[in-house]
Amino acid sequence: MTARRLIPLFAAALSAFGQASTQLDLDSFEKVWTTIRDKHWQVKPGGLDWLAIRDEYRPRVKSAASHDEARAVMQEMLGRLKQSHFAIIPATLYSVVDDDGEGPGTSGIDTRVLDGHAVVTSVDPGSPADKQGVRPGWQIERTRGIDLAPLIEQGRSNPAVHELQLTRAVLARLSGPIGGTLEATFLDASNKTVTLTLGLTAPRGTLSAFGNLPAQHVWFENKRLGTTAYVRFNLFLDLPRVMASFQQTIDNCKECDGLIVDLRGNPGGIGGMAMGMAGFLVDKPNQLLGTMYLRDSTLKFVVNPRADIFSGPVAVLVDGCSASTSEIFAGGLKDLGRARVFGTPTAAAALPSAFERLPNGDGFQYAVANYVSEGGQPLEGLGVTPDVRVELTRTALLAGHDPVVDAALDWIRRSKKP
Amino acid sequence: MNRRVFLVLPVVLPVVLHICFAADPLPSAESILDRYVQVTGGKQAYEKRKSEIAHGTVEFPALGIKGSMTRYAAEPDKYYYTVDIQAIGKMETGVIGPIAWENSAILGPRLKTGVERAEALRESSLSATVDWRKLYPKVENQGIETIDGEECFKVVMTPAEGQPVIGYYQKKSGLQVKLTTVASTQMGDVPVEMIASDYKNFGGILEPAKVVQKAGPQEFSMTIERVEVNPAIPPETFALPAEVRKLVDKSEAK
Repeated sequence: MTARRLIPLFAAALSAFGQASTQLDLDSFEKVWTTIRDKHWQVKPGGLDWLAIRDEYRPRVKSAASHDEARAVMQEMLGRLKQSHFAIIPATLYSVVDDDGEGPGTSGIDTRVLDGHAVVTSVDPGSPADKQGVRPGWQIERTRGIDLAPLIEQGRSNPAVHELQLTRAVLARLSGPIGGTLEATFLDASNKTVTLTLGLTAPRGTLSAFGNLPAQHVWFENKRLGTTAYVRFNLFLDLPRVMASFQQTIDNCKECDGLIVDLRGNPGGIGGMAMGMAGFLVDKPNQLLGTMYLRDSTLKFVVNPRADIFSGPVAVLVDGCSASTSEIFAGGLKDLGRARVFGTPTAAAALPSAFERLPNGDGFQYAVANYVSEGGQPLEGLGVTPDVRVELTRTALLAGHDPVVDAALDWIRRSKKP
Repeated sequence: MNRRVFLVLPVVLPVVLHICFAADPLPSAESILDRYVQVTGGKQAYEKRKSEIAHGTVEFPALGIKGSMTRYAAEPDKYYYTVDIQAIGKMETGVIGPIAWENSAILGPRLKTGVERAEALRESSLSATVDWRKLYPKVENQGIETIDGEECFKVVMTPAEGQPVIGYYQKKSGLQVKLTTVASTQMGDVPVEMIASDYKNFGGILEPAKVVQKAGPQEFSMTIERVEVNPAIPPETFALPAEVRKLVDKSEAK
């Protein structure tokens, strides 16, 4: 019951302490280094001589001119592992309201980089962007007077920057303090330049805390697309509410011809929720989504079939921003032959991890295990390859279509029993 | 040996043990286990215990997650343990007669089978401590080890079904301070190490008020705050939740 949690990947960014590195930073370094030494699933973490790593990085933390620099050194050390889910999270991120430039405030726009451009993929109904007429398919050219093109170009040309990180970097340019405003320039449906000043409001959903993880807004959406049920949620968190909502969807879906679980943009959360949700879709006992390998044990991700399950066709939608628990769910159901996966390859960042606070107040995320999907493929570095590759396009979005949903619906319709 | 306290949420602890060689002949494992019964209240105290409700708290310290726990038990074969953690929801596990089950907001309901079921039935009994002879056909004292500066007897208890359980009993006090085993769980066999401390007298029986469990990189602790002794527990407390009942019905129908 314990080691069943996975936490979403965090691409840290952010903010500044102006003070010099302190003993607290050194203590934090020791905590980070020893935690990896003692808890990494490999006795030789990442194949590295971990003692030598300490000798290399400790003096640099000691001589760091600021907390920021000390954190950057620690982050660089973690980068040597070349594994996801190792991160130092600035203490300021734990503050629900961050008022220095970037912040949790949003205009209601979601975006992806399509063909080298940031394109609006959805607009929250009733959000400031919605009220000002921003629509899916609009291209985002500038925010706060700064062109996005160089950022996107840099990200795309660096193989180390994954789509998930690039999308987050773009979204960060679209955020700010709640109550503030954001000037953004778009190309609208007719490629006309439109500059709008958008209000920034609290993100969609309910603020949900989970232990040492910074509180995050969690939303769950379900609807019918004709006779097909459709669910989408942004995180595998807020467990009681999200699980209950998923169950309610299943309970109300006995006559549906199919179910679409849309995990695009979902970076993961509590790993056990993948097993719990799969239990509503799988009828045979003792089936596995995959296996987690820790240093001293192996844990099977077993699915408990519920008493009442949905037995119709299931489509899972993913993209490069689907990570961690999303990959466990999508990959596991695909490997079991229980779902067909549509979209683009996932983030390939699926290591189970834990969060702790460091002596200097920063957060520390560290992976504790490797995870191999039931088909025998590690998700880390490889991700989930969709059964049906479908890409979003600006043209389709402008026409009011979501080609990935359309492909899933088409498959479900064709799967109908005669 | 009060394992019903321990094995609800398995975990592990890296404790350095220094093996010593005793000059004196080792006492038998049987005498160590009987002494544990004696020092924690005596056979009569255990036999008087027909039901209990324990209240306490649970914590995953590294994760910053806390919650409450309540444990109900009634002779001869009823057990219900519930943990409520705000961010996770309710997790329940129970035994009634031959049925051992588990239910949670995250994983849903399930029936325990095989070795896992055998372990659950064994650990759920209120008389597990005093009835160790029935539960562990083979016991062996494997020597003395030092834990936190105290010499302890290392007793290996082998059940009829399941993995051996190793209890560490202080030479001086006779109290069990550590227990290790490999727990059989649905997710696989998990090495578990539990440290018991802060023994308190709850209605005539000494019980560790604090238990820290570690499994892999994660730690879980449980603190018992109070125990109601021989309360009248409504039978519905032990009744199978509707979702679990459905699984039993489904299984019987097959």
